[in-house]
Amino acid sequence: MKEQSAAEKSVPVIELRHVDKHFGDLHVLRDINLTVEKGEVLVVIGPSGSGKSTMCRTINRLETIDSGEILIEGEPLPQEGAELTRMRAELGMVFQQFNLFAHMTILDNVTLGPREVLGVPRDEAERRAMELLERVGVAEQAQKVPAQLSGGQQQRAAIARSLAMRPKAMMFDEPTSALDPEMINEVLDVMVELAREGMTMVVVTHEMNFARRVADRVVFMADGQIVEEGAPDEFFDHPRTQRARDFLDSIKGH
Amino acid sequence: MSRANSATSMRDALYEAPGPRTRRKIVVGTVISLALVALGVAAVIRQFYVTGQLAPRYWSFLLEWTTWRFLLQGLMGTVQVALTAGVIALVLGLLLMLGRTSGVRPLSALCRVVTDFFRGVPSLLLIYFFFFVPAQLGLKMPSFWMLTLPVALAASGVLAEVFRAGVNAVPRGQVEAAMSIGLSSAKTMFKIVLPQAVRYVIPSLIAQLVVVVKDTTVAYVVSYPDLMQNARVLITSYDALVSMYLVVAVIYILINYLINRASVYIANKTGVKIIR
Amino acid sequence: MGLTELLGTYGQNYLNGLLTTWSLTAVSFVFVMVLAVAVTVMRVSPFAPLRVVGDLYVQVFRNIPGVALLIIIAYALPDLNVVLDWRTCVIVTTILMGSAFGSENFMSGINTIGVGQIEAARSIGLSFGQILRRIVIPQALRTTVLPMTNLLIAVMLTTALGSQVPLSPQELTGVVSYVNTRATGGILAFLVSAVGYVGTALVISLAGNRIDRRVRILR
Repeated sequence: MKEQSAAEKSVPVIELRHVDKHFGDLHVLRDINLTVEKGEVLVVIGPSGSGKSTMCRTINRLETIDSGEILIEGEPLPQEGAELTRMRAELGMVFQQFNLFAHMTILDNVTLGPREVLGVPRDEAERRAMELLERVGVAEQAQKVPAQLSGGQQQRAAIARSLAMRPKAMMFDEPTSALDPEMINEVLDVMVELAREGMTMVVVTHEMNFARRVADRVVFMADGQIVEEGAPDEFFDHPRTQRARDFLDSIKGH
Repeated sequence: MSRANSATSMRDALYEAPGPRTRRKIVVGTVISLALVALGVAAVIRQFYVTGQLAPRYWSFLLEWTTWRFLLQGLMGTVQVALTAGVIALVLGLLLMLGRTSGVRPLSALCRVVTDFFRGVPSLLLIYFFFFVPAQLGLKMPSFWMLTLPVALAASGVLAEVFRAGVNAVPRGQVEAAMSIGLSSAKTMFKIVLPQAVRYVIPSLIAQLVVVVKDTTVAYVVSYPDLMQNARVLITSYDALVSMYLVVAVIYILINYLINRASVYIANKTGVKIIR
Repeated sequence: MGLTELLGTYGQNYLNGLLTTWSLTAVSFVFVMVLAVAVTVMRVSPFAPLRVVGDLYVQVFRNIPGVALLIIIAYALPDLNVVLDWRTCVIVTTILMGSAFGSENFMSGINTIGVGQIEAARSIGLSFGQILRRIVIPQALRTTVLPMTNLLIAVMLTTALGSQVPLSPQELTGVVSYVNTRATGGILAFLVSAVGYVGTALVISLAGNRIDRRVRILR
């Protein structure tokens, strides 16, 4: 038993090796190397245009890469077909713009994945969906459509939609950037809760307090490169690079 | 954040970047569909060939300057009708919209009925009306107006609705601000709302010109010499029906295509939506 | 000529005209929808030749004047050994034009969905087919109810092209010109047909609005 758990630990949930990507002339990801261990919360910060969102999106191939390797639990990320959809089903993704399905109720948004992809029967999918909606605090909205919910409620429902797939890891791509200030915390609270329960998470965010409080490790990106990475206290209190110092100074102004 | 290459149109966004297997399938599909398209084109050309329609005598008159001069004359007729009808429709459409939004009950109802009437009736019916009725009443109407008036009336109903959509697109706050500085409702409409509304609807107005141009094609009903009518004259003199009609159709398509492009160009440039 | 006299003499013609307009409209619209779907599928397919043909189809048939198209189909095609009866000529013309606009409606319906929802669907592991079935098509259909209602009315108005060929029985516009070449029908002769068109358009748009209210997607 002990051996097995040690072996498990040695395989990171997500691993990026020498990942490069261009958008036309723009070199958006430069030799990215990154591992995310099981149960780890990795927070990615950096100025806008630093490539942090793009990196996050490469992990379930919403963006393709030019070269390098992406491994999910040691397996290379498939490029297409059923292998790819299966892999995606195991990775949750939460978007800046929530991206709930506009024509479906919140409940249907959450049950769609389990029913279509995992083949869960309707009543079981709905029971589980209601549990999740309860957990993120939008159970009362289950029968409404997305446009009837506030941004914060939509984002929490979107998190429930991802969780319904019982993902191995969750990616958050600036989950609070499109929210009114008073709604940011309700979403962050759900994420803190998830982190506490041991979910493996990659979070791209501008919320420094969240990073400091929840992150196991902080990655600072600029110009498509990982400039610095380390424990949150160490990074925020003693940034090693000038780039990171400048960035932290610039956001302190706010 | 910077997603310079992210799909700009949904039809590309439907597909993700293909993997090697998908890429192969796309190549195969492209080749097969290209073959099918080529086959279709070949079948059409073959049909032209076996029916003798590719014979030089059906096409040689297109090399003559007189042909094009005559068509150009017709085109000028088309342009005259279209522009005149367009201007009349603009004025009428604006009046109908102003009447409908005036707040004066009977006027508003009347304008609404008139608008719906012209929108709900085929322009051909209106053309027959101007072809038959004035003559029955003993009025002698030039063929230009027998064509221009019905085309204008048909368009005015649509334009009234376009204008109304434009007025509705002006933010409510503008009206409130104008009222709060003491402008009368008429002044608010003419000084504040309309100038902005017109800016919103310019691309839509241009797009409607396509409908006007299309409607003018029935000029032959009233024997007005437009592009289509002149083409018919050429057909009888050269006995080249298929080629002539195809050429005329292409001319109309190009004109309307260019009008549409102009409309879209201005819409994109000014960031407004085209109302249809 | 008074209304009673007009309807007494030509009432049957008008009634037949209305029924003919309705049947031309109904038959055309069914095929308009089928062809619009087919053209839209071509335009959103990943195969460039099909996209080009689809786009070209739409540009040609939304920009060609109806009369020009009808004349080509009715009078030029026979020279190419394609002979259709008059009614079919009118229907084919209407279908070709209507389907171009119908495809444009579908395309803008698809465009309103937004890339985000597609990416969200991908990220929960839906396949391309599932995304089409569960996300794209339902939304495209529901957002196009009003535009398609307007298209149905436009299709009805297009069938007035039937007055340009010797249809039998004639449709509403043809009836008017028939009446007027035989009698001094005056304004009334036109109003009867106009009421047929406007009344039908009114019913269609009421029904369309009702359906739209039921299925509209809040955004």
